[in-house]
Amino acid sequence: MSKLPEERPADINLEDLLRLKRSERPSEAFWNDFDRDLHQRMLQTLVKKDPWYIQLMRGFSGRIGQSVAVAAAAAVVAMVVVRPAFQPVAAPESFAAAPAPVVEVTPAPAVEIVSAPVEVAVAQLSLAEIADLNSAADYHADIISVDGAANDVNFVRDFGLESMQVASYEASAYSVDTANARVSFASTGVASLVY
Amino acid sequence: MATTGSVSKTFAQAQDAPLSERDLDWAVVQRVQAGNVGAFDQLVQKYREHIFSVVYNMTSNREDASDLTQETFIKAFQAIGRFKGKSSFFTWIYRIAINTTMTFLKKRSRRRYISYENINEEVSTTEIFESLTAKTRTEKGALVQELQEKLNDSLQKLSPKHRTVVVLHEIEGLGHAEIAEITKTSVGTVRSRLHYAKQQLQSYLKDYLA
Repeated sequence: MSKLPEERPADINLEDLLRLKRSERPSEAFWNDFDRDLHQRMLQTLVKKDPWYIQLMRGFSGRIGQSVAVAAAAAVVAMVVVRPAFQPVAAPESFAAAPAPVVEVTPAPAVEIVSAPVEVAVAQLSLAEIADLNSAADYHADIISVDGAANDVNFVRDFGLESMQVASYEASAYSVDTANARVSFASTGVASLVY
Repeated sequence: MATTGSVSKTFAQAQDAPLSERDLDWAVVQRVQAGNVGAFDQLVQKYREHIFSVVYNMTSNREDASDLTQETFIKAFQAIGRFKGKSSFFTWIYRIAINTTMTFLKKRSRRRYISYENINEEVSTTEIFESLTAKTRTEKGALVQELQEKLNDSLQKLSPKHRTVVVLHEIEGLGHAEIAEITKTSVGTVRSRLHYAKQQLQSYLKDYLA
């Protein structure tokens, strides 16, 4: 058992006691070994190549990493902000089988225009029925005969006219356009020919 | 060779003329960054004893302290290219030392063993030694060893955070603001931890105190 507690020095406080630890110092030989070991380790550090993951981490903490991070952030923003503008609009069923265009910026009017002939009631009428239609209706349907129209140019029809479609509009506002195969491509009416 | 007592002198000078001390270190750092690897040795020679003292008093093991001090300088050497001089070099290297030691202490869940440095009686000016000089050489040696063991045991009973503050302030002689900068805490936290730690030490060492 120590005698220190019984014979403890007077006026010794905690700070003095802790300051005693400043006296715990290595010898000169210790520092010689320390310097030698440290130089060897530093040399190894200079020569040794870091593992790939350390280099990767170092790269990400450097300017390359910052550039990659900025590019990634820009890509994310582009995906979130810009991508919804390129979302394809659901096409009508009649066009579902057709290859949809990737960019259809104004789908709504286009659908209306394209679908208009579909919405209009279409009747397939024979020539005799059209003649009956003219006699009964309050409008007149002109039949443009390819035979008559082609007389001047010595045109001989080598195909038969099977049927034609006539769009029905308001009686006071429309007339029936009929055309044969010769003039159908020039017609701007809604009527179309079906062969 | 610089003494441990010169630590407070070094930092006292740093406080009196912080820019000049800081600029001196910064000039050396810039030389190292420019490729003059040998200039780093100047920083090692200047701070090795201070760093060793901190780590040794944190771990109470001279071999661990030696390894950790070397590791501190290796880390500083590897990272010196990224040192921008926003803080002083001594703050930076102390922070590396503290963080390295804290990581080591967390891994070392239990104290393996303790190995002390011999007390250099020539440089000790404490009243304890003055009173011990009246005793015979044999008695003095035994008392010093017992006191050393008791001191280190008491320090090891403190938590690492409280031990860090005590070591930096009471043994290394750093100011509260410097410790706050090194440990990245507020001055109030440093004072609080110091007050609590000293209370704990008082109770552990009551048999040795007046």
